[in-house]
Amino acid sequence: MAANSVLLGLVEEFVSGQQDSKASETATGVKTGQFTVLELVEALGLSLTSSQAQTRGRGVQLLSLVLQECYASLSEREVEVLVAFYENRLKDHYAITPYVLQGIKALTKCPKLPPGLSVSILKSLFQDVHVQSLMLKERSCVYTILLNLMESQEEELKGLGADFVFGFVQAMDGERDPRNLLLAFQIAGNIVHRGYELGKFTEELFEVTSCYFPIDFTPPPSDPHGITQEDLILSLRTVLTGTPRFAEYLLPLIIEKVDSDVQSAKLDSLQTLTACTTLYTHKDLAEFLTGLWTSLRREVFQTASEKVEAASLSALTALTACLSRSVRHSDSEDGLEVFLDLVLRDCQHHLCEPDLKLVWPSAKLLQAAAGASYRASRKIAASVVPLLLEQYSTRTQCAQRRTLLEVVQGFVQPAQNSLPGDGEESILSGFQQPLCSLVFSALSESNTGLRVIASRVLTALGQQPGLLLPSDVELAADHLTRLVLEEDEPQICSAVMDCSCALARLYPDAFASKMIPKLKGEIFSEPMVQDDGSTPAQTQSRQAVRQRCVAALAVMSSKPSVVQESAPILLEVLSSAHAGSGLFSLEEVVSTCHSLQRVAAQAQDTEETGRFFHDIIIPRLLGLALQAALQGEREGAQQSPLTEEAVLSALVPVMSTACSRLQSQMAALTASRAVSLFLDGDVSFLPENDFPSPLQLLKKQSEAWRRSQLVCLLMACVCSMPRSVEIPQIDRLFEELEELSCTSPHPFSYTAAAKCFAGLVNKRPGGDQLDSVLERMMKRISSELDCASSSFRVQAFTLLLWVAKALLIRYHPLSTALTDKLFSLLPDPELADAAAEGFSLLLSDPADVLNRECHADVRIMYRQRFFTENSAKLFQGFYSADKGRKPGYLKALSHIVNHLPRQVQLTELPALLPLLLEALSSPDRRVQLSTLSCLHPVLMDPPPALTPQVDGLVSHLLKLTTSPGMAVRIASLRCLHALSRLPEHMILPFRARVIRALAKALDDRKRLVRKEAVEARGEWFLVGCPGR
Amino acid sequence: MNILHKFSAHPDTRCWYVAWNPTGTLLASCGGDRAIRIWAREGDSWECRFVLPEGHQRTIRKVAWSPCGNYLASASFDATTCIWGKKGDDFECLTVLEGHENEVKCVSWAPSGSLLATCSRDKSVWVWEVDEEDEYECVSVVNAHTQDVKHVVWHPTKELLASASYDNTVRLYKEEDDDWVCKATLEGHTATVWSLAFDSSGQRLASCSDDRTVKIWKECHPEDEQGEGRASTDPEWKCVCTLSGFHSRTVYDVAWCQQTGLLATACADDGVRVFKEDSNSDCHQTIFSLSVHIPKAHNQDVNCVAWHPKEAGLLASCSDDGEIAIWSYQSET
Amino acid sequence: MSGGTQLDNENPQIFQRSGERLWTAEDEDEDIADPIDDREIFDLIRSINDPEHPLSLEDLNVVEQMRVHVSDPESTVTVEFTPTIPHCSMATLIGLSIKVKLLRSLPSRFKIDVHITPGTHASEDAVNKQLADKERVAAALENAQLLEVVNQCLASKLPANLMP
Repeated sequence: MAANSVLLGLVEEFVSGQQDSKASETATGVKTGQFTVLELVEALGLSLTSSQAQTRGRGVQLLSLVLQECYASLSEREVEVLVAFYENRLKDHYAITPYVLQGIKALTKCPKLPPGLSVSILKSLFQDVHVQSLMLKERSCVYTILLNLMESQEEELKGLGADFVFGFVQAMDGERDPRNLLLAFQIAGNIVHRGYELGKFTEELFEVTSCYFPIDFTPPPSDPHGITQEDLILSLRTVLTGTPRFAEYLLPLIIEKVDSDVQSAKLDSLQTLTACTTLYTHKDLAEFLTGLWTSLRREVFQTASEKVEAASLSALTALTACLSRSVRHSDSEDGLEVFLDLVLRDCQHHLCEPDLKLVWPSAKLLQAAAGASYRASRKIAASVVPLLLEQYSTRTQCAQRRTLLEVVQGFVQPAQNSLPGDGEESILSGFQQPLCSLVFSALSESNTGLRVIASRVLTALGQQPGLLLPSDVELAADHLTRLVLEEDEPQICSAVMDCSCALARLYPDAFASKMIPKLKGEIFSEPMVQDDGSTPAQTQSRQAVRQRCVAALAVMSSKPSVVQESAPILLEVLSSAHAGSGLFSLEEVVSTCHSLQRVAAQAQDTEETGRFFHDIIIPRLLGLALQAALQGEREGAQQSPLTEEAVLSALVPVMSTACSRLQSQMAALTASRAVSLFLDGDVSFLPENDFPSPLQLLKKQSEAWRRSQLVCLLMACVCSMPRSVEIPQIDRLFEELEELSCTSPHPFSYTAAAKCFAGLVNKRPGGDQLDSVLERMMKRISSELDCASSSFRVQAFTLLLWVAKALLIRYHPLSTALTDKLFSLLPDPELADAAAEGFSLLLSDPADVLNRECHADVRIMYRQRFFTENSAKLFQGFYSADKGRKPGYLKALSHIVNHLPRQVQLTELPALLPLLLEALSSPDRRVQLSTLSCLHPVLMDPPPALTPQVDGLVSHLLKLTTSPGMAVRIASLRCLHALSRLPEHMILPFRARVIRALAKALDDRKRLVRKEAVEARGEWFLVGCPGR
Repeated sequence: MNILHKFSAHPDTRCWYVAWNPTGTLLASCGGDRAIRIWAREGDSWECRFVLPEGHQRTIRKVAWSPCGNYLASASFDATTCIWGKKGDDFECLTVLEGHENEVKCVSWAPSGSLLATCSRDKSVWVWEVDEEDEYECVSVVNAHTQDVKHVVWHPTKELLASASYDNTVRLYKEEDDDWVCKATLEGHTATVWSLAFDSSGQRLASCSDDRTVKIWKECHPEDEQGEGRASTDPEWKCVCTLSGFHSRTVYDVAWCQQTGLLATACADDGVRVFKEDSNSDCHQTIFSLSVHIPKAHNQDVNCVAWHPKEAGLLASCSDDGEIAIWSYQSET
Repeated sequence: MSGGTQLDNENPQIFQRSGERLWTAEDEDEDIADPIDDREIFDLIRSINDPEHPLSLEDLNVVEQMRVHVSDPESTVTVEFTPTIPHCSMATLIGLSIKVKLLRSLPSRFKIDVHITPGTHASEDAVNKQLADKERVAAALENAQLLEVVNQCLASKLPANLMP
């Protein structure tokens, strides 16, 4: 009885004493077994029979609160009693209902709901509660009760038959709150998707939900519930499209709403149509097809909105796909046939008017329908392709032919769903011959547009089996060769290259035998007139032709059989240039290297190609470069272009791309050959090894820069290998590289040596060995840097920068020491500028070393990490620096921020903005530019931190629009343009000022500046204006 | 002609119109910024003395002082006309005259101060009567023009009203049997007539137009030669002079100095011009010659010119660039 | 423009675009002043959206470079535009859009005249007169509905429905 008196006390304090905390104490009592729920009911006796509704309510509330915590442990018996109790209470005063509903909600979560109770609960609810007169929270409670029961008692609920649907329809009829609507739509969705009986209430259920369609909901500003229009649209769509039984109501509604003036309603209707076709059959659609087609056609013919057009076309595809799925009965008409006849009737004739606007929307509609299924595409192609072929031959104007060809292109590229199945042939195979003739005739036309589109059609034809016969492939190769030689129009060149690339991949042998020899012939053909006799223009155009041939060779090179033909030709160009043929300019040699790199990058990864590069390309390139260097040292000898920095720099990526893709065994061999070549002068693997010995490449000799700069090729080999490849003689290599990089007077050489050193450091496993290499290096660098009179400070700085980069990206603990050293150089009179620029390198991806393609150890987050660890130093350095030294800090900062990922920029912005604004007022144009380029992306998607700074930003940017530097004016105008996208309330106060200030820029002396000013000012005019 | 002052009156927008108060101590301006500002000379500069509270929703096209100088009327594209009066140290809106269907283009007080005229794009001219309690009542709506009416102006002494329109004509109105009726239509311009000005006697009327000319019209009584004509015959207005070839774009405004008889024009070619009547011009053959031409008086179109009512030769002008300029004209020596 | 309304000219003829201006070395050179030329003016107006088609004025040949004349030293611009059909009810709106685009994009020293190509529209004079009346233009732009339509014509999106 002690328990009982405690319980009575709790009840008393809760009911009369209004102490809410007693509820959880009571619940704890029940949970710990101190007393049972039924004892609680008993103890509540007095309050429950009180004449005061308020007291009764308080009593029920206590019970419900306890149940919310203890429903899981109730016995079946207890549940039965409680359900009966609550059902009874539903008839009580309306003020009590909220608590009753809470109790029922708790009970419906109970796992041991005895049979029959859920039906009983529902009957009472539907009978005794008028849901829509309840408050928002209670209505939500009712929906949750239904949802709970639907989860656990589906069979029983279904036993209610259509009464359940009727009860629900009555309950939700008139609901207006978006949160509750989401619940109600969920219930309705369950009803239609889980097979509840709708009986004679199908239309009622449709009505009570479809009255919200299309959803028009704007969440209140700073809505705490976060419900979006999209949430409501999608959950309602799930209901409306959930059953074909709604078809007869939904389709007319869609036809009506597609015609709405509101774009979002249009889109919603079209997307709903697309969604419902997945469940519908031809029978559901039949009656409405004409109406639906009329709406879709109208939208595509007349709309000015890309979104509406795309949604209409998707709906047409979906509709056609639905009709294509329907099984055909011999006795009934084929719905697909009938529908496509309708589409063809309305669209086909517009294809015969290639000048007029509707040719485009008509073609898009036909293509959308054809894309639905193989059957649909077959029918449409059968009707449209002959028509287009005929039109093309009767129309003679280029513009008309171009349009027709472009429409053809749309039909030649098959959609995923209309691809032929097994045993089916391409829908175009009947037109193979005329289509090929059409394309080849268009390729022979002089019109640019026609040639471009014809190349694209050719590409598409080639990609479908059976549409290009072997003789067509040869003809295609001839045409493409001719175009490469003749055509200098950039658009055609790029289309021809794309086509050659695609077709050579599919038909390598034909291209290797037909096209490559012709290109080679052209590359090495001697000019008709001697060089001194030809005009500069002629020379230039010959160069351009050769460059196109070289580029074409590269794009075609993916299959081994092509690569083995093309790469030697490119090598031959280099050796011919080296031999002094005079045929090729420096520019051509460089672009040949680029082409060779492309070959190395896109060649199919086979053992065969790997061996080819390993055996032939890499040794020959090294050999050529070495010959060039040695030849150049001889007095009076002709200088080979291969000693030029531009050429070497272009060779590096060729080598490193090739090496980075070698299989491990060949990689190891290449690495050891390269190392012994550079350390020991071992030339045995080079093709023509008539080199003087002993050959010293890395030793510092002031006259030997031609040799020492070859260290870049060493870097290309050893720094691009996978980390698992062992580099032999690594310690000697480090020593010699350090020596060269610290003492060479030749900038290209010492920079390449520093990069090579850094590239190796990056991949070495951490540990004492690496630490001692670094320690020795640091000591040397520090002593050079600390000695103001040293003539090798720049060299030491370069090595420092690259090694800092190498360590930073792999999170090596020593990296901080090195980057701190860089910071300490920011006030350095001699090196400040280089140090500030260095931060750009530190955080960017170099093209030739220390990147992921070279298998470098690069941690994803290194930039963020660097910023987090160092921003404070930078800020502090800036604020404490003398006026004259501040620009260095600003430049470093601006570089660093510029390379930060967007997300980090955003979070750091509050701290950064004042400094960035300061940087904008720096007199250094490079700092201004760098800062503007880092601000621009931030402004495109502005964070809240920007708000207090907008004023200052606008002022600074406006000032820069009158900068003497054109690039600064352009960049500042772009930022101002971006600012116009900020939320209106933030920028409206500046509208007049910006528009006035930009009027000056409209009269800028430079056209490129005016262009930016026009765009920015145009946008600012729209701020706060209708029609934005 | 010398420039005395130039100041930005309606920055970021255009200044449509300026008007001197009858004593010439204040200059009111209005513009595309929906603002009315009242300027006064303070020592060597011009200061904004009053900014009228926001009374209009759209551009304020014109302002007009009442003959007593105590009221200011403003015509706005928001289809209303406001009457402003001085209350303490500020101006406040006393009455809003509503009725026009769309943009009110002009407002003008009759010399007595008891009549007010407004005109609008709705093609109508309205005449309002002001009683002692300062209540305004529309007494007549005249739909004589076939297109929007750009300007209305009263005769300097009589109750005669003139209007200019997009329909290329000028019309004159008089009260007849409690209603205002069109008594004369002046045809001759080949494009929109933008503005009008009477000379001090009221016998001549100048009009300016998009056809790049200014015309002078003279009141002629048919019986003039035979002495006093019959009162029932209305006078005819004849074009006695056309100033063409001087302006290279639309002439937006013309002003006739009541003291000196000088004629000033505001032109869309950014220029201000002053014309002087030749001494040998007679009553049938009026001859004006160009006395001064300031080609770049403003950076953009000049919208309005206004002679100072007391100080001979003092001229105000305003422009699309939002600026007001004050000029001083000295007759050539 | 929406739903079921019937267009003036549902299936107009379409013309090829002139493509982007090719920038020259002179354009990049800081030391050379580039005068405003016809092409620059044409580039300002050619991408204006037609009020009822998802097409630009250039696509419909409503504006052509040969009908644009600018004199930078004299600060004058004259543009003639050609409605697609003589009874096009959109002519005034198109002219207004061109005028507004030029007003917003050119230095204020310019005098801008926009006319219908002579002989190409039934109400040519009336439309020209309206476009030349700056008071009417100013009032039109204070009308929110009209301003909205004009702004939509000037919106910097490329029309959707076009050939590539």
